Amino acid sequence: MRIARLLGGVFVAAAAAMASPTDVKAQQLVIWHDLGDNGVAMFERAGAEFAKTRPGVSVRSISYPTDQWFGRVISSINTNTAPDLIFNNYERVIRIEQQTGKIMDLRATLASIADKGFLGEDDLRVATFKNKMIILPVQRVQMAFGVRKSWLDKTGEQFPQTWDDVKRISAKFRESDPDGNGRADTFGMALQAAKPRDLIHMLDLFTFGSGLRHTLINPDGKIMIDEPAHAQVLEEFLKTYSSYRFVAPDTINHSFTEMYQVILGSRAGMFRVGDWNVRGWDNANALGGDFVSGPWPKFAANRDNAVVIGGMRGVAVPENSPNRALAVEFAKFLLGKEAQQASLELVGAGVRKDLNVDALSPRQQYFARAQHRLVAYDFPESIHTFYPELEAAFHRKLLAGIAAPPADWKPFIAETAKEMRELAAKLRASN
Amino acid sequence: MPALPAPTRLQSAVEALNLAWRNRVFYLFVAPFAALTIVFGLWPIALSIQVSLTASASALSPNPTYVGLANYATVLADPIFIASLWRTLWYAALAVAANLAFALGVAILIDSPRLRAGSMFFRLAIFLPVVTPDVAGYVVWRWLYDRSFGAINAAAEQLGLPAFGGLSSVDTVTIAVLIAELWHHAGFYMTIFLANLAMRDRALEEAAAIDGATTWQKWRFIILPQLRPAIVINLVYATVQFLKTFTVVVVMTKGGPAERTNFVSYYAYQLFDQGRYGEATAMASLLFAIVIALSLGAFKLSEGRAPK
Repeated sequence: MRIARLLGGVFVAAAAAMASPTDVKAQQLVIWHDLGDNGVAMFERAGAEFAKTRPGVSVRSISYPTDQWFGRVISSINTNTAPDLIFNNYERVIRIEQQTGKIMDLRATLASIADKGFLGEDDLRVATFKNKMIILPVQRVQMAFGVRKSWLDKTGEQFPQTWDDVKRISAKFRESDPDGNGRADTFGMALQAAKPRDLIHMLDLFTFGSGLRHTLINPDGKIMIDEPAHAQVLEEFLKTYSSYRFVAPDTINHSFTEMYQVILGSRAGMFRVGDWNVRGWDNANALGGDFVSGPWPKFAANRDNAVVIGGMRGVAVPENSPNRALAVEFAKFLLGKEAQQASLELVGAGVRKDLNVDALSPRQQYFARAQHRLVAYDFPESIHTFYPELEAAFHRKLLAGIAAPPADWKPFIAETAKEMRELAAKLRASN
Repeated sequence: MPALPAPTRLQSAVEALNLAWRNRVFYLFVAPFAALTIVFGLWPIALSIQVSLTASASALSPNPTYVGLANYATVLADPIFIASLWRTLWYAALAVAANLAFALGVAILIDSPRLRAGSMFFRLAIFLPVVTPDVAGYVVWRWLYDRSFGAINAAAEQLGLPAFGGLSSVDTVTIAVLIAELWHHAGFYMTIFLANLAMRDRALEEAAAIDGATTWQKWRFIILPQLRPAIVINLVYATVQFLKTFTVVVVMTKGGPAERTNFVSYYAYQLFDQGRYGEATAMASLLFAIVIALSLGAFKLSEGRAPK
């Protein structure tokens, strides 16, 4: 009798299990990014939140070094082995779109999101390429001017507000042994110059941070570098690498890696701080939080300085995504509060304004609260298709100048502007 | 005497098959290596040449758009590539001469009976950099050259010498890179020279000495001709090596300052990084053709001048 009851119970349980709504198929979304361990943790947490409303769905994120990310994404999309989603800076997704033409237009997806008031006009503009919304913006990339706090204290200085402040503090950082090791081995600033994007990226920060709107060319195709306000910033920028001696002499060969070595090795007192840097630099093994962030220096009394928005990081869906509908759902979910909170806490950036920032360090809060005026890049590559080639030529010209500095930079700038005008006209004609 | 009838095609084919069958064990053993060579050696080269004939935007797609020689035309019209090509040829010539001269000089010193006691130590000391990972070695060289905390400038300062521009000066970067490469590669060439020196016929030198030959005459007319195999091997290998100079540039200079070390391999890599696959592989293919032509030329030259 007992056996019969037991068998009966098992039968009923099995029948109940078969009848229960388990038709939710286990699905895994794969997302490729270049955010390293912090990004992996962010997507893991967002995926776990997403799974609460989508039983059986899991999210697996894979981080590649940026250059590998490019090659893998392009080849996978072109060979129909694409991941479900990709995540990166806007301009990198543009390159993927240019190479493949297979990034999904997310305009309809954005339209279907009710809660999106936190996305500004600039955010949406940089997410759009040739009338196609290629990313949903998930993180604003903020870059501020950073200074070693203990070095400021030791030299009796405050956070620099103007370019003259920066010049004075740079000289002190170089000459007054701010790290107290008894050797003259410190520099005012850590910059980079080696690769085309390195040098122009640094110039972008000084230009946009000083309140100007275009580094090289404006949307109408006008070369801007010899306009008086621009020429002033460019000349001072070039002197920083040469006659001012504010950077290490080898900076001409420095790329990101070497620049970070100079910053983290306590060899320079002023540097770029990205919102994604802060969490790591708060760590005792890095800068131990010994830095303060603020807007880029002011070059003219009548122009407001700013923290620079270097772009938007966002999520894109390849048209041949294996689980396209679900991928779009997850992309939308990344704009939700839970995913945005994870993004803010683990990567240091988000786009929503209603996030809880209390648990963040004061340095993280500086970015999270967006305490200063923000100025965004102008993204000329989205307007002028020839821009990358023009920029590469501009970089070569500037590097040649830094390698053999002229006695007077003004004729150099005028000559460079002339060459850029001729090249832009030629490239425009050939395009 | 009547001429023998020429074998028919069928007979030739049967003979070839018979020969293959007689050597079947040899072919069986060779087959895996031949397959590996084709798959991993020749196939990527063929694929690279194929990509160089396609439009970059479609290069990695299943159905690429073929553009004929357009990428080659673009590359050859690019003044930066032409400058880079000349720079590469110049640097390769300089590096080959410096490496071979240094390696030969060191090999002669180490081969000397007077240095027999420390011979093994010097061999090891000079060969060690060859087996050192190149990236690690070049990172250390970059530190040595650093103008703010590098050992070279620290020593120069102690000795009251002017500062060395190292990697950050257009005047010194080529020599700085060349020295680092010499450190890494010369041990290999030295080993080849040492092997050849050990194999030479010493009786000829004794005979020359009896005939009153001076040391210089012995080297010029007896020893150097016997080193021809090592010289040819080293010459070809070094030419190939330095025409493809890449790692040292990535680690130490990134093509700078002011393009002074922007050699063809690195320039192609930069274009590849920008997604300009067609032009990048066109550059690589042109470099490949130059390397093959120079290597074959060196072999032909050595064959033509070989002692009869």
